[in-house]
Amino acid sequence: MNQRSISLWAALACTAALGLSGAQAQTKAYAGVTLNVMTFTGPQIAEPLQRRGKEFEAATGAKVNVITVPYSDLYQKLLTDWSTGTNSIDAAILAPQWMPDYVGFLEDLSPRVKADSKLREDDVAPFFREFSQKYGGKTYTVTLDGDFHIAYYRTDVLAKLGRKPPQTWDEYLDIAKAAHGKDFGDGKPIVGSCIAKKRSAQSFWMITSVAGAFLQAKGTSEGAFFDPATMKPLVNNDAFARALEIYKETGKYGPPNEINMDVGDTRTLFVGGGCALTVDWGDIGPLAVDPKASKVVDKVGALMLPGSTRVLDRASGKLVACDATRCPHAVNGVNRAPFAAFGGWSGAINAKAKPQAKDAAYALFSYMSQPEQSNADVTVGATGFNPYRQSQFKDMGPWKKAGMSDKAAKDYLGAIQDSLNSPNMVLDLRIPFNQRYQQVALDTAMARFLAGELDVKGTMKNIEDTWNELNDELGKAKQQAAYKASIGAR
Amino acid sequence: MSGLGPQGAPPPGPARPAPGEWLGNWLDRQAGTVFIAPAVTVVLLFSIFPLLASAWLSLTRFSLQAGGYELSFVGALNYRKLIAGSQQFHLLGTAGEMAVATWLALAAAHALLAWALLRSLRRRQAYAQAAPRAPQGAAAVLTLACVIVAALLSPLGPFAAAAQSARDALDLPWFAWLLFAFAGFVVAALIARRLGAPARVAGLVGRQLAGSVWLLVALVAAGTAGGQQGSLLTTLFYVAGGVALQFALGLGLALLCAQPIRGRNLFRLSFFLPLMVTPVGIAYMFRMLADMGVGPFAPVARLLGLGAVTWAQNAWSARWVVLIGDTWQWVPFIFIVLLAAIEGQPRDQLEAAQLDGAPSWRIFRDITWPAIAPTAAAVVLIRLIEAFKIVDLPNVLTNGGPGIATESMTLHAFIDWRSLNLGGSAAVAYLLLLVSTLVAVSFFHFVVRPARGEPAA
Amino acid sequence: MKRLFESQRLGELAPLPRALVYGALLAWTFVVFFPLYWVLVTSFKEPLQVADGPVFLPFVDFQPSLHAWKYILVETGRDTLRPYLNSMLIASLSTLLAVAIGSMAAYALTRIVYRPSVAAVLLFIASVAAVVALVLSAGLSLGWALPLGAMLFVLGLRPLQRRITARLGNDDILFWMISQRILPPVVSAIPIYVMFQQVHLLDTQFALIVTYMTANLPIVVWLMVDFFDGIPRELEESAALDGASRFRILFDLMLPLARPGLVATTLLVLILSWNEYLLALFLSTANAQTMPLLVAAQNATRGPQWWTMSVLILLMIVPVVVMTLFLQKFIARGLLTGAVKG
Repeated sequence: MNQRSISLWAALACTAALGLSGAQAQTKAYAGVTLNVMTFTGPQIAEPLQRRGKEFEAATGAKVNVITVPYSDLYQKLLTDWSTGTNSIDAAILAPQWMPDYVGFLEDLSPRVKADSKLREDDVAPFFREFSQKYGGKTYTVTLDGDFHIAYYRTDVLAKLGRKPPQTWDEYLDIAKAAHGKDFGDGKPIVGSCIAKKRSAQSFWMITSVAGAFLQAKGTSEGAFFDPATMKPLVNNDAFARALEIYKETGKYGPPNEINMDVGDTRTLFVGGGCALTVDWGDIGPLAVDPKASKVVDKVGALMLPGSTRVLDRASGKLVACDATRCPHAVNGVNRAPFAAFGGWSGAINAKAKPQAKDAAYALFSYMSQPEQSNADVTVGATGFNPYRQSQFKDMGPWKKAGMSDKAAKDYLGAIQDSLNSPNMVLDLRIPFNQRYQQVALDTAMARFLAGELDVKGTMKNIEDTWNELNDELGKAKQQAAYKASIGAR
Repeated sequence: MSGLGPQGAPPPGPARPAPGEWLGNWLDRQAGTVFIAPAVTVVLLFSIFPLLASAWLSLTRFSLQAGGYELSFVGALNYRKLIAGSQQFHLLGTAGEMAVATWLALAAAHALLAWALLRSLRRRQAYAQAAPRAPQGAAAVLTLACVIVAALLSPLGPFAAAAQSARDALDLPWFAWLLFAFAGFVVAALIARRLGAPARVAGLVGRQLAGSVWLLVALVAAGTAGGQQGSLLTTLFYVAGGVALQFALGLGLALLCAQPIRGRNLFRLSFFLPLMVTPVGIAYMFRMLADMGVGPFAPVARLLGLGAVTWAQNAWSARWVVLIGDTWQWVPFIFIVLLAAIEGQPRDQLEAAQLDGAPSWRIFRDITWPAIAPTAAAVVLIRLIEAFKIVDLPNVLTNGGPGIATESMTLHAFIDWRSLNLGGSAAVAYLLLLVSTLVAVSFFHFVVRPARGEPAA
Repeated sequence: MKRLFESQRLGELAPLPRALVYGALLAWTFVVFFPLYWVLVTSFKEPLQVADGPVFLPFVDFQPSLHAWKYILVETGRDTLRPYLNSMLIASLSTLLAVAIGSMAAYALTRIVYRPSVAAVLLFIASVAAVVALVLSAGLSLGWALPLGAMLFVLGLRPLQRRITARLGNDDILFWMISQRILPPVVSAIPIYVMFQQVHLLDTQFALIVTYMTANLPIVVWLMVDFFDGIPRELEESAALDGASRFRILFDLMLPLARPGLVATTLLVLILSWNEYLLALFLSTANAQTMPLLVAAQNATRGPQWWTMSVLILLMIVPVVVMTLFLQKFIARGLLTGAVKG
């Protein structure tokens, strides 16, 4: 063939190819759409996002650009991008606890969620569906991960000590004391309890995990941070005092360096075989069965956060014994208040993104949350996703595949399920500027308390004063209305 | 270009310069502007707006609104909280009992101020070659003004309660007191000039400003000596202790490396290594190293019987660990500059002294040190300014703990900023700006310029 | 005994001092290398080996594994390469610009006497403040506010200069330059972010190059002033007599003479740009991400991934070491500038 016919054939071939791909693109729902999704650097959360993003792209043609930033800076980066009008990020996987600050920038997803049958919203645990995803009655996020605190224990240690898993904090301290410093078979002495106590880390959540059962007994709407009727901080009373004492006492049976350990350190220590008890999010379950990271494979049990037989009488500020009226949700006379710390990573969409991008982003999050994908992801520790759907507890198959024994899986899932189904779950603080209340005021006071600078009374007074000052500065009526709306109080 | 022509012939007349040459000549005359304009313009563009915007931010409260944000003016609220309000424990510290040693140290700080003022006036006098009237009277007046202002305004410390009641008695707004202080400085400066101080009024007022801030810090330090120090004193510890240690080590290493030894280049390169690691990486690296449970020094700690003790529990040991990390990181900076200076010193003097058999310390004192003094002063100034901004190490090692013991002011601002308290964060940053500017200006005038052989203002 | 303290030849050290000097230098070398060795070893460890307690020697104490290296270089290779290239581009360009502009300014500050009037400076600040106030409070657009501010400056200059005759000097300019380093970046980061956002240059390498150049300019000026000061004037004066223009003097005479200082300054500024974290965090999102961000990002919710972090730290050191080795012959050669001083 001569030169011209070659080029003619080439041109024809190219056009045909283009036409074909165009036709193919035509059938893909979001062809040509580029989605910028931001989260923190993984592998947790970012890895499943990238993986599912690729699958999503193959199915719908939308290009998913996963942008990651260091975990401690995610909040600032997103906020700067959205509040200054830059809007380079279309969607993000963020923490629902940031909702009060972000709500002005997020797209209201209520109509989409309602119309989405594949999402199986009915399968999502009520706490996440009604509280975590919503703000002011509207849904703003798609839950991808269920986050709350559970207590973990070493089954072999408890068996050797002849104890049952701790149902109250007094029992927790008992076990910690009994186990502290003893060798249970690997030649190294273990510590009784590992709980994160580092400054600016997680200690402000941990104290609420301890104090919750003392402060809240009548359900989520009773509130555990403020008294919704008066907006008085619930931090200067006998219940919080007892919680502070317990928290400090766990340090007596903990590693020497505990005051400088955050949850990453305590988790590593527990899974490395160094602690008898710990309080953490759901990550320890899958981590404990990973032979590359764990020395306690099949030796870990989990249960709902220990509770208390005495609760706060808000009028007098004193602790009173539980009875049927005071603690309607008590289990065997013990009031339990699992704490949904932080909220669980969820997908949210920028209200100012382009309409096609918004549709594509919602489709992506829905895809990731649907049981077909989600149920597999929550069994893999590296994804960072923890269970939040009822169906994730029914089928043991994926958990066994991940390496959990029958007993371990039942234990772990049981603890999560108990917490999820508890009507007395503590909702994390969700009023505007909650970071200043918790991560600055409460955390600084806790750090000074643990360092010995303040005593119990001084700590409580300090937190109460700073929270009251914040309320006054930010507008007490406004904060109260926001607090009531978040916990559904009347 | 226009010189004498060949012998005997008259010089050629001035030819009209070609256009390119004319441009070259014009540029040459404008060289002064052309050389410095780009630098000045660029720095101006990038510095003015952030400076002014941050000042504005420190007077506002930041809140997020639907779709955007809002800045509401709150006046000096952020500053008041930090200095005299609910955040005082954070910035200045909590007061404690004052031991005898603390009182003595406080008195020494006052004496040091008097001596420094006297010396600065004397040095100024020597340069001005003015009629030599004894400057003791002037120095005494200036010192007295500083002491009175510091005592009257002190927010924390031995005189704070008395000062508070004195101020309450008159019930004036806070800025009135600042104006009084300023007026007092001006009056004292005029009196000092009457008594023969050989400096301008502005210079004398500046000295008093620096002096009273020095005394205020001394009072706060004395007051919190028995209690807990706040981020201000922690930062000053990092700066003073850190820069002193780094300078000593840097100078020592530079002197050692300048000796005639083999493998000099190898040592030089290795010592430069810490500077090449990114500060965030260094912070995590030290976190690994300082972990006495699973870090490399754990066996050493166990051997010494320190197993149950941890540096992270004690305020001062935690601060020292941060200081050690900072020193490891920044010694190369001082080392490399001082080495360049030492190797650039005049050779002939050096060789002559060595031939004469002078001992090394004499050579150092009389030849090397004067030669490198200007460079040393410059590099210490740069290091001082950078040291005030320390943030990565305390952030990663201890997040500012235990309590608030290792929190530097920049970390303080960073924590506030992270929780969207932009106004409070800008206020802390501006207070840091004030303190570090005073330190830098004082250091510049009283160390750098004399090292260069120029007088202080 | 005496022989320990006497040197054999002139210019050499006696045996005892020599031993002490070597001893001290070797001790510090150990101090420098041990943390880096620890980082190297950690990059080959499994999570369990890190958590278990210190193990020091690969193959002896523990089995080294390449999982961290594989993760960084292979599995997330693309995500590692992009920040790496960004860092190299941004650091080298910003350093080049900073050193070029800064050396010019430094030379000028040592040889030429400047006397900016205090009135002009005050008025300039007032004009900028007026512009900022107009934009922020009165909501005026930049297009209106800038000319108004310029007018204020131009009109007010003469009258104010007549009232305030004081003048500043070179030292004041110098001090003003170095004082730019005082404000912590955490506070200036947001205004700088807003500045770049207004011109739509966020997340570009250009924004970071310009920002780093500006941030490091004061250091270049400060250090080069010192090095230029050390060069005697006679050389320039004779060159000027020969008819060389200021530009030629600077480029052909001064810069080569100040080479050791120039190289040291270039290295320092290169390192500062290479390692900068906070402004990079603010001004970049995806395209202009740099290496320090990647290092910090290894601190995930699960706790610091020490192994991958160690890999990244080591990767970050390599180009700087290469650059230093390349430039060090200039330092070594040029530092023997006894010829200039003597």
